[in-house]
Amino acid sequence: MKPAPFEYCRPSSVSEAVDALAAAESGRVLAGGQSLIPAMNFRLTDVSVLVDIRDVAGLDRVTVEPGGVTVGAAATQSRVLADDGAAAVVPGLRVALRHVGHLQIRNRGTVCGSIAHADPAAELPALAVAVDATISVEGPDGGRNIAARDFLLGPFWTALDDAEVVTEVCFPAAPEGAVTVVDEISRRAGDFAVTGLVAIIEPVDAVVRSARLVGFGVGGAPMRLTEAEAALSGWAGHHTDSAVLEAAAADAADAFEDIHATAEYRREVLGALVVRAARKALNSGASP
Amino acid sequence: MSVSQPVSEIEVEITINSRRRRDRVPSRLLLSDYIRDTVGLTGTHLGCEHGYCGACTVMVDGDAVRSCLMLTVQADGAEIRTVEDLAPAGSDALSPMQQAFHDNHALQCGFCTAGFLMTLESVDPADYRHPQQVVELLSGNLCRCTGYQNIVTAVAQAWSDSTQAQ
Ligand SMILES: Cc1cc2nc3c(=O)[nH]c(=O)nc-3n(C[C@H](O)[C@H](O)[C@H](O)COP(=O)(O)OP(=O)(O)OC[C@H]3O[C@@H](n4cnc5c(N)ncnc54)[C@H](O)[C@@H]3O)c2cc1C
Ligand code: FES
Ligand code: FES
Repeated sequence: MKPAPFEYCRPSSVSEAVDALAAAESGRVLAGGQSLIPAMNFRLTDVSVLVDIRDVAGLDRVTVEPGGVTVGAAATQSRVLADDGAAAVVPGLRVALRHVGHLQIRNRGTVCGSIAHADPAAELPALAVAVDATISVEGPDGGRNIAARDFLLGPFWTALDDAEVVTEVCFPAAPEGAVTVVDEISRRAGDFAVTGLVAIIEPVDAVVRSARLVGFGVGGAPMRLTEAEAALSGWAGHHTDSAVLEAAAADAADAFEDIHATAEYRREVLGALVVRAARKALNSGASP
Repeated sequence: MSVSQPVSEIEVEITINSRRRRDRVPSRLLLSDYIRDTVGLTGTHLGCEHGYCGACTVMVDGDAVRSCLMLTVQADGAEIRTVEDLAPAGSDALSPMQQAFHDNHALQCGFCTAGFLMTLESVDPADYRHPQQVVELLSGNLCRCTGYQNIVTAVAQAWSDSTQAQ
């Protein structure tokens, strides 16, 4: 349970970090280390050079503007969770982060690192897809911005090239009056979800006007639930659940199966989470 | 301070329980092993070494962290506190939280205790007024033999004494 030998560097700029990654045989960015170090302790990951981005100037910045929140690659999850301004503009950040690990994990883990890690059961990648976040990366050929849905390709698989570094992620503001719900079934508080949902729902006069739904812990990458979104539009709390449940199950037709749950179970849970989120949004809309 | 070229060994300066040290360490040395083997402070325990149990929790610059998920080089320049720093020096007395654990039978084997104590030491009790918040706070520390009830009772005792004292 100790990492195999590797070399370590701590550059002071993004371009030095990119150079170090490009020069290494198998270089890896080290952010909070809360996913990478366990993988190295287990010797699941082969790393020749670790590039620690902690000292890169400006990367720990969190910028809150009316249009959105931009989180730098070194900003910890605890720091963002505690930021009232960020929670006011993008409520999903706070509600998602409450489900991420425990205090000790969030004190080191970063928001951007969770997205770069792309665990299929993680909350923040699903939030990024739900709000149409943009991931900014720098590499040997310069910088580019990638939409979250194009960035997250599969389990632990992203559009990042080997020598690219995520510098920041921009989360656009939630629509006025929308309610953001992050809900999940997990075996214990703080564990990764068996299945979870990020829902951004706009209630108007006790009816769902529009819904943005993204499931996690169902597919290899965050899964947009377009059929359930359509089924929820115009839905009111007194309507029956069955159309919504069926639509969510259809969206999750390819749900995966593992030691924790069957695909069938994941589809059922997802539908139940969608209904639960819609009811919650309608109730909070009724009494703001 | 930046380290511009990749290195497999590095000199670090770390303050641990108010004592400043310089050590030359391998890049791969985990902070948990540095604390136990290099510094010789064996009160910090290692249960799983992959972030799940919380036994290895220490404070780094005031925050509770898993020392098994941190490299020693990442603590370069930091201030670390371990369980050895809790009781007042030079006496047999315990810290109020340690005393409350003792009074309430909040440990049996004691393997997990240092981790619980350091998590508790790192927070402001004012942020955890509701028992459910205490339970959530402690969810990152596993105890396999006492059960959590006595631990939560001990926290309630220590923190109610501390608010009365103010
Ligand atoms: C006990 C435990 C429970 C947890 N529970 C949850 C949970 O419930 N939900 C959840 O979402 N997460 C959970 N996590 C994971 C945690 O959120 C991690 O912090 C996160 O997944 C990774 O962020 P990090 O900053 O620690 O990244 P690191 O571990 O440093 O890196 C992870 C990966 O991303 C890459 N990377 C990181 N930053 C960048 C960057 N800027 N550019 C390019 N690549 C980068 C690294 O190279 C590495 O491959 C848990 C972890 C533990 C140990
Ligand atoms: S030994 Fe570090 S969390 Fe278990
Ligand atoms: S007292 Fe034995 S594990 Fe907690």
